[in-house]
Amino acid sequence: MKNPKFKESLFYIIPFYVLSFCALSGLAILFSSSAAFSSDMTMTLKVKKVTAKLDKATQVKAIIPLPKDIVKATMDYQGGSFFTEARKSKIQRFQCTSCHNNKAISINNASKISHDDIKIDHGDKEGPLSCNTCHYENDRDFLVTSKGSKIDMDHVYDMCGQCHFRQKKDWIGGAHGKRITYWAGERVVKNCTSCHNPHSPLFKKRWPKTYSVPLK
Amino acid sequence: MDSDKKKKMNRRTFLKGAASAAIAGSAAVTVGCEGKGLLGSSEAYALEFQEYFKKYYRVMTPVERQETVTRLEKLAKIKQDITVNIDTTKPGENVLFGYAFNVTRCEGYMECIQACVKENNLDRKSNTQYIQIFEMEPGQMTPDQGDSKFFHMVPQDGHFYMGVQCFHCENPPCVKACPTKATWKEDDGIVVVDYDWCIGCRYCMAACPYMGRRFNWNEPEVPKDEITKNQHYLGNRKRVKGMMEKCTFCIQRTRKGKLTACAEACPTGARVFGNLLDPDSEIRFVLENKKVYRLKEDLGTEPKFWYFID
Repeated sequence: MKNPKFKESLFYIIPFYVLSFCALSGLAILFSSSAAFSSDMTMTLKVKKVTAKLDKATQVKAIIPLPKDIVKATMDYQGGSFFTEARKSKIQRFQCTSCHNNKAISINNASKISHDDIKIDHGDKEGPLSCNTCHYENDRDFLVTSKGSKIDMDHVYDMCGQCHFRQKKDWIGGAHGKRITYWAGERVVKNCTSCHNPHSPLFKKRWPKTYSVPLK
Repeated sequence: MDSDKKKKMNRRTFLKGAASAAIAGSAAVTVGCEGKGLLGSSEAYALEFQEYFKKYYRVMTPVERQETVTRLEKLAKIKQDITVNIDTTKPGENVLFGYAFNVTRCEGYMECIQACVKENNLDRKSNTQYIQIFEMEPGQMTPDQGDSKFFHMVPQDGHFYMGVQCFHCENPPCVKACPTKATWKEDDGIVVVDYDWCIGCRYCMAACPYMGRRFNWNEPEVPKDEITKNQHYLGNRKRVKGMMEKCTFCIQRTRKGKLTACAEACPTGARVFGNLLDPDSEIRFVLENKKVYRLKEDLGTEPKFWYFID
């Protein structure tokens, strides 16, 4: 220690050892596969890694009844086939062809009596929709797309989805619209017309159902 | 002779007299109370006595759970004269509940709040509500900048609406704060409270960053005809003054496959509920395809309640 040359060399030796120790331990931490660092993954990432299809029957130990009056949708969602509410039984004057046929109309002012309550408020001022945009002229029991294909009244989403394709995509997936009563079991969702009036779809303002008081 | 017979008033005689007077007096009071029925029927008293000594719910065997549920159902019959059905359904396999809230679709109707109050037998006297709907202005990101006490025609122009409730965090701070472990996270992700184990210290209320917890400052009052009869031990059964409670994702409904009351009541379809471990579920579709965010992400509580916009 009394040797000055040795003391001088320490200025090189000590930093070298310190730096190499830091570098080695840094590398060790980087490449370690210890459990402490795998918990860095958030819950969302862990959940998204679960991609194995579930056997839906084991999720809930209860019998899930299907509501009545549903139809199978024409397309599949990410989990296979799903159902939607049927509409035809709820349309007041369905079987349109009971009047709209080739027979002569014998009632005076028939159109006023039957369809006067319908006010069309769909589409903007430049391109308002008319009756025949959606209703098929040659067979009034059905709806029609712009390309001329017939759509059944129960599968109205195929027609609404022409313009509202973003909402339709979301509705198929589950981000738009509403599921009926059960999260488990067969998927049954509301149809477009279950919530939206097709002739004037905008929702009016209303009062809230209840009120809140400050939290104590 | 009179002075000998006259008892000297010393400490011993005073205490003897006082003790016998106390015994006689309390006997008289008890007889009087019993006669008037103030102590309740002896059966209710016996049931409550047994309930007092029951174990922590998580260490109960299934037989003990069934016994306590039977006692609670009998007590409800005796005291409130209603027939309830309290179950102890366990979590399903491969189920982790998640919730998504569409901020674009919420219009402030508060139908969810009313449905929740009815379904979970919440106290009407103090207007306890698990859900809060906030009216916010564009640009505001957190509920504390919004107004939850609105009552006017909705939706108001230039405002949007969002709701908060217990988010059932995966890393819940309330569970860590509880000194008696009366609250815990179940296997299907629902954070529950064992009401009979809670001591009412409200540490969890202080620990929750989202104001998800409610305390019963008074004895809860629910009109008899509005009580929901299908109950769960950890859910909407009768709670008393001094217990904590919170949203339980309608545990009495969701463990049987039904949607939560709020998700079912929402008329605009702004609420999406489902199983996060099912890759085909709607909640997974929302997480993968929509712009989602959670509140107070930096706290690391990992809430299972996402907000999204269309």
